[in-house]
Amino acid sequence: MRISRRLVLGAVAAAALATTSITAFAGELPKNVRMVIGSKSTGGDTYQNSAIIADALAEKLGINIKVDAVGSTEGFKALKRDKRGSTIMMFHDQAYLGELYGRKGYDDPFTTYKIGAAVAINPGNSYLVAKDSKYKNMTEIFAAAAAGEKIRVAIQPGGVSEIGFSAMKNAAKVLSPGSEVNLVAVKTGSQSDKNQAMFDDLADVINGSIQANEQFTQLPADDQKAMRFVWVTARAETLDQAPAKGMGDTTRDQLLAYANPKTSVPLTKSENFTFDKEFFLLYNKDMDEGMVKQIDTALAEIFAEGKIQERQKGSFFIPNFLPSDEASVYYMGKRDIYRKIIQDITK
Amino acid sequence: MELFEFLTPLFVLLVMGGTFVGIIFGAIPGLTATMAVAVCLPLTYPLGLENGLALLLGLYVGGISGGLVPAVLLNIPGTPSSITTTFDGYPMSQRGEGERALKIGIFSSLVGGIISLIALYFFAPALADFAIRFSYVEKFLIIIFALSVMAALSTDLLIGIFSGFLGIFISLIDTYDVEYGGNGNTRLMPESLEYWLEGGFSLLPVLIGIFGLAAILHEAEAGVPKGMSMKDLKVSSKNKFSFSIFKDQIVNLVRSSGIGTFVGILPGVGGSAASILSYTYAKTFSKNPENFGKGEPAGIIASESGNNGLTGGALVPLLSLGIPGDSTTALLIGAFTLQGVQVGPLFIGNNPMTWNAMIVAMIIANFAMFFMMFYAIRYIVMIITVPKHILFPIILMMCVVGAYTINYGIIFDVWTLLIFGIFGWLAKHLSLEIAPFIIGFILGHSSEIYFVKSLESFEDLSIFFTKSWIAVVLWVLIIGSIGFSVLLSRKKQDNTANEVAD
Amino acid sequence: MFEFTKVTIDFETSHLLFPTIISCILALLGISILIRDRKRIATSGKHWSIIFSKMDKKRFFGTLFLTVLYFSLMVPIGDLWPNTGYGFLICSIPFLFLAGLLFLHEYTKQTILPVVIVALIAPTFVWWLFTDLFFLSLP
Repeated sequence: MRISRRLVLGAVAAAALATTSITAFAGELPKNVRMVIGSKSTGGDTYQNSAIIADALAEKLGINIKVDAVGSTEGFKALKRDKRGSTIMMFHDQAYLGELYGRKGYDDPFTTYKIGAAVAINPGNSYLVAKDSKYKNMTEIFAAAAAGEKIRVAIQPGGVSEIGFSAMKNAAKVLSPGSEVNLVAVKTGSQSDKNQAMFDDLADVINGSIQANEQFTQLPADDQKAMRFVWVTARAETLDQAPAKGMGDTTRDQLLAYANPKTSVPLTKSENFTFDKEFFLLYNKDMDEGMVKQIDTALAEIFAEGKIQERQKGSFFIPNFLPSDEASVYYMGKRDIYRKIIQDITK
Repeated sequence: MELFEFLTPLFVLLVMGGTFVGIIFGAIPGLTATMAVAVCLPLTYPLGLENGLALLLGLYVGGISGGLVPAVLLNIPGTPSSITTTFDGYPMSQRGEGERALKIGIFSSLVGGIISLIALYFFAPALADFAIRFSYVEKFLIIIFALSVMAALSTDLLIGIFSGFLGIFISLIDTYDVEYGGNGNTRLMPESLEYWLEGGFSLLPVLIGIFGLAAILHEAEAGVPKGMSMKDLKVSSKNKFSFSIFKDQIVNLVRSSGIGTFVGILPGVGGSAASILSYTYAKTFSKNPENFGKGEPAGIIASESGNNGLTGGALVPLLSLGIPGDSTTALLIGAFTLQGVQVGPLFIGNNPMTWNAMIVAMIIANFAMFFMMFYAIRYIVMIITVPKHILFPIILMMCVVGAYTINYGIIFDVWTLLIFGIFGWLAKHLSLEIAPFIIGFILGHSSEIYFVKSLESFEDLSIFFTKSWIAVVLWVLIIGSIGFSVLLSRKKQDNTANEVAD
Repeated sequence: MFEFTKVTIDFETSHLLFPTIISCILALLGISILIRDRKRIATSGKHWSIIFSKMDKKRFFGTLFLTVLYFSLMVPIGDLWPNTGYGFLICSIPFLFLAGLLFLHEYTKQTILPVVIVALIAPTFVWWLFTDLFFLSLP
């Protein structure tokens, strides 16, 4: 039985090696970290953004970070299970919007998890109409709603895709109380479902993104698939930081015309609604404070070096670093604003 | 030549490697092309889409072709679609014409593969262009049509339909996912199991379970029969092979390839139907039908060109409508989703490079298959002698790796693999039909979305009949296929009744 | 078109609509099979006893047992060294070895040696391939 002894020896040696490398320094991230993300797609913005951050962080800290696209439900589960810092999560505003919209599988992220550093903004969230639509802009849409026309808006319910629609309803209510009932949600799924809803004439307005829909806006008007932007939800200050050449054949200046203040979706009589889709990290509630600090410091250094910003902008992300405690306060405030909107329109 | 950027040495190497491994899988009884694709699928993630597909398509072509080796030499079809190859191949090898039979089969495979590829190249884009006009309503009807065709060709009509619906039912045990426009609620599960089941059963672990683990359980049940040794195999070269045999078989070759392609295009119909149908036709139209089953080369030609004809055909509905043509192409859907690419009507237009890559990969795979098998047939025969006690544990391990990595590390996927491995084993003993089950499982989700969303948007049941002329045509096809299947099962009953009377 | 074909879908309960329809169809089909094949089903006990009497019980249940053990140990063991894939590696080697022995018919030096070699090499290679080269998660 020489072989099985060798086998046991080998296993023990490997085990010893691994344990020493992981428990060497308390309060520091382990050698192998798994970054779960709230999306199942490896082609989407969450994955792209996470990959950029994971690469930079791994290099800075000299550890391995694997990005796993397990989706929000499995991601939260994995995060709850692991207090040792070997699992961290990257997600965006959906983390609290999911709870506000009462979606299954979402808890209050501020009490269930620890909010980590903020890293980037995707300024792409937008709304589009068909190129031959009778509505040219948001003003006409609100006017039509006030005049009693039914306007169907294709969204994916319960999150980032719905928040802009909620804001539209709220704006209709502000501009002409009672007209908000004329804005009707068409509840669909992925981006291609939302596009198809417009091709099939099941929706007048669809939720989309600058990245995914810009190509469609370049099609000739007689193409069934041609679209036009009517609203980009991002703040002008955010969009201003995007590369001047914009996305595809649409320049930044052209995009700014669809955003606040040039396109107005009122939040109150005096203020306009804006929404930036922001990416931030989430940790297990009991993860060591030292690890939180370690990530904060590392990210601060990375952003100070300035290389990561180039990579982020190359993928049409806006760099946005906030250390953990600042991010936590900031997102709580953001949550309160959107909670009020959602409550107001469901009243 | 931007569209041919993908054509790198790695690409070619992957196709050829895939074809080689596929031939091995196909040649070992109990292992199938589907299993080869299932086990290798996780490998494709880091390879990227084009290179990943190169590997998988090689496996597919190789796997379907390799099945003829044990069919001819052992009277055991290496893959289900080589069943009819045994009818004439084995008698020939008993007569000492093993090598001749193998080479006839190999060349027919090549012709079948190429003809179906030509059909794929011209047919899929046309169908896809047309398919953009399909809204939820038409898409739902397409699925109904797919299910009705599938039922028509199952051995037992009633059980075939039942298996299909069972597949749909099991696919619905999950959350009505917001990602597809649902409301995010779970259904069909007790609350205590929600933690595990809310994500539902993922497609790939289910497939790996049913095709990988279940196959090994069956072998274990049979005591893992010892493999063959070289002595048992007869590859004598009495009566040498020559291409002149194909001279008066051109009609048979083209017809069988055509049938194979056509059967492939029908969604959900497996490879065995392709070869059985072309074999039947060859026999009916032959001058000497009495020779069939006694070692008639025309039988091998029909069978092998038929089942390789399937390879191109089965990709047509996949690439133009997003509906898999058979269980292997169903796995390819996994490869696409793994890369975040959606297969559907817009696929070819949006991804011309991927489309070209697939066609080129198929061409290379077919020729690689031909040269590898034709000139190395004597070595390939040795594959059958690899001992199973070495092979099976490795396959089991690869199943685990496949299931675990497919969704980036969710352990429930590994349990799904086990559950469906056992289910696959049970299903065979309960004579449930696996092909309709799988197709039902794959299409279950889309059919739900299309159905519910059609009603949500139009609020009228009659929309399924009045939406467009396409809908009407689809209904005609559905009714036609149901009528056909009822007729077919009547005929089968009559036959059995006659047999009893005899 | 006609009044009676009009339907309204309540979004909040729409997750139950399709499952209900499918369940009903499935039940109907099940009942028809029960009626049609009642004779065969009545004698299904015999069918299964034949299956079990023919079965190689040692290998069948052995495979199942090993597989279940393999699956259940992988995660807890892997959890000792998170995100390294050691759980997979440490469990796969004995699993391959034992499963190989289970499937083996004659135990001699010549037959056991390849099993041992494969049990050592195959998991190590796969582990290296996936964790180092492909950078994917293993338990």
